[in-house]
Amino acid sequence: MSHNLIHIDKDICTGCRRCVDVCPVDAIHGQSGTPHEINLDTCVACGQCVQVCSSYLSEFESTPTIYAEKLAKRGMLSSVHEPLFAAYAQCHTHEVKDALANKNLFTFVQCAPSVRVAIGEEFGMPLGVLTPGKLAAALRRLGFDRVYDTNFGADITIMEEGSELLHRLTSGEGKLPMFTSCCPAWVKYIEQDYPDLLEHLSSCKSPMGMAAPVFKTIGAEIDNVDPAKIYSVAVMPCTCKHFEAARPEMNASGYQDTDVVITTRELAQLIKDAGIDFVNLPEEEFDQPFGEYSGAGAIFGVTGGVMEAALRTGYELLTKEQIPQLDLEFVRGDNGLRTADVALGDMTVKIAVVAGLDSAAKVLESVKAGTCEYDFVEIMTCPEGCMTGGGQPKLLLDGHRKLAFNQRRAALYSHDKDLPVRKSHENPSIKKLYGDYLGEPFGHHAHDLLHTTYTPRKVK
Amino acid sequence: MKSTKFIVADADKCIGCKICEVACHAAHDNLNYTVGAQYSAITPRLHVMQVNGKYVPVQCRQCEDAPCANACAIGAITEVDGKIIINEKTCIGCKACLVACPFGAIDLRPQIHNGEVVTQPRLKTLQDADENKSVLVAYKCDLCAENETQACVAACPENALRVYNALDDSKAKALQSALALHAI
Repeated sequence: MSHNLIHIDKDICTGCRRCVDVCPVDAIHGQSGTPHEINLDTCVACGQCVQVCSSYLSEFESTPTIYAEKLAKRGMLSSVHEPLFAAYAQCHTHEVKDALANKNLFTFVQCAPSVRVAIGEEFGMPLGVLTPGKLAAALRRLGFDRVYDTNFGADITIMEEGSELLHRLTSGEGKLPMFTSCCPAWVKYIEQDYPDLLEHLSSCKSPMGMAAPVFKTIGAEIDNVDPAKIYSVAVMPCTCKHFEAARPEMNASGYQDTDVVITTRELAQLIKDAGIDFVNLPEEEFDQPFGEYSGAGAIFGVTGGVMEAALRTGYELLTKEQIPQLDLEFVRGDNGLRTADVALGDMTVKIAVVAGLDSAAKVLESVKAGTCEYDFVEIMTCPEGCMTGGGQPKLLLDGHRKLAFNQRRAALYSHDKDLPVRKSHENPSIKKLYGDYLGEPFGHHAHDLLHTTYTPRKVK
Repeated sequence: MKSTKFIVADADKCIGCKICEVACHAAHDNLNYTVGAQYSAITPRLHVMQVNGKYVPVQCRQCEDAPCANACAIGAITEVDGKIIINEKTCIGCKACLVACPFGAIDLRPQIHNGEVVTQPRLKTLQDADENKSVLVAYKCDLCAENETQACVAACPENALRVYNALDDSKAKALQSALALHAI
């Protein structure tokens, strides 16, 4: 299934092939020393080529006219004046700017966990600086009518995915291992490369995918607005989320649940375009009720975070006892595969955490061969989870990547530690959402809004 | 006797990724880490050139008898600690050094101070009479004079760049020749 999200500019590409080395699906082709091309059928739009590309448009080869034409072709605002590199993600900032200027629309926005530990970098703040308050303030000043949060969506995901896992473990229905389904690049990958294993994917939508239909149904009711007039924007660290949001089945609200997705970088460009002084913004809160989140929701941004959040809730739902230790160090780490045996009451659950599709392929091959012992596997495409996503601020130098990753990770864990509620099922707004609207987690109404199906998409 | 060191690239190793250029900019002109926080254009002091389908960066040789320094009318180019350095504060942008340099290793660019382009005190252009012209100065590789390591050398993923000491290298080669002669 093709998309139009990631490109290589032939005028700028030198054919150094550093992007080829990081592409997890071998979608980039070309002869060394000549401009390369991306096969958009196989490309999973993870954007890691965008992050690694170092061939930029030199001042000596450019003019203001050439620069302006390139901005326009990339869908970038004309106010942008950063260096342009050969590999790029198509921008959607104009759509957001137009929607915010349209007085007939009621605008919602949600922000992924990882945006708040990276966006400050685009304003010269330290790497991994934690800025949820300034982020909310900036979105409000851009003119969004409701400033909601994907972290709240992450808490819903835990309620659903945790319940789904317990159901698969205890009822014998559904395939094991169960794979997480938050990462759209991973989902596209399994749909096209391992279509026979799709039943192993959790039916849960991603946190963004769950929050969006909640906004356009329950959120519309709360604000008493016609859902047809709601324009819902998602800010993601991810270049593939646009692909996920555009899937035709993402319309549980009766409308396309998310109207447009922009990346962390694009949001920074919008903030600069509006002349907002991000660094000196006051700390503000996200709007209620869909802006309240737990520490478990916050750590979705890092590899192992979904697993840790799920275990915190799964343990307590199953055993009806408090989990003795909240910081589950054994699932934390960086690239590759981590495994553990976790005791949930009388049951031992074998879990695995995967960052990177090369490690994912090994797990998938073991499932195919019937040798996979895991019950539950978290899989993310990007090197260390979403905070290292293709839509995050691009580090100028490779040497600063690890430093940035470490700081962003530390910021997400410290955010979790400092939040008053650290388990998804204890988030008061989550309790209210289920109590007042959704009923039982993994129940009938929840299923209609929050779960999805997958399609085999074997690339010929 | 001592000679100046210089950075030289191995054309067989260079893949043309231009990260040496980006690293050069980061080391000299940039306080921020990310692309979105770059407030000046990337103006590197070495340039990756493509010749016959191959790439290789070109930069200053730190010439012993520096033609650029000998051509400079105001003495803005001097040898400092074994490096040929252009004083960008006193440079008047006359371009004599660009003409004199046999390697094309010197360029002109706007002078930047604290991230801002410096403008002329009075000089304007006829086309844009409201704004003073920016100050253009000569600049080139200074072997990262402010730092202990060289940014381009450190950033190259292929280890194609190195700091070369021609005299030491020559002595080492002479020693190898002598050993070879003994072996005969």
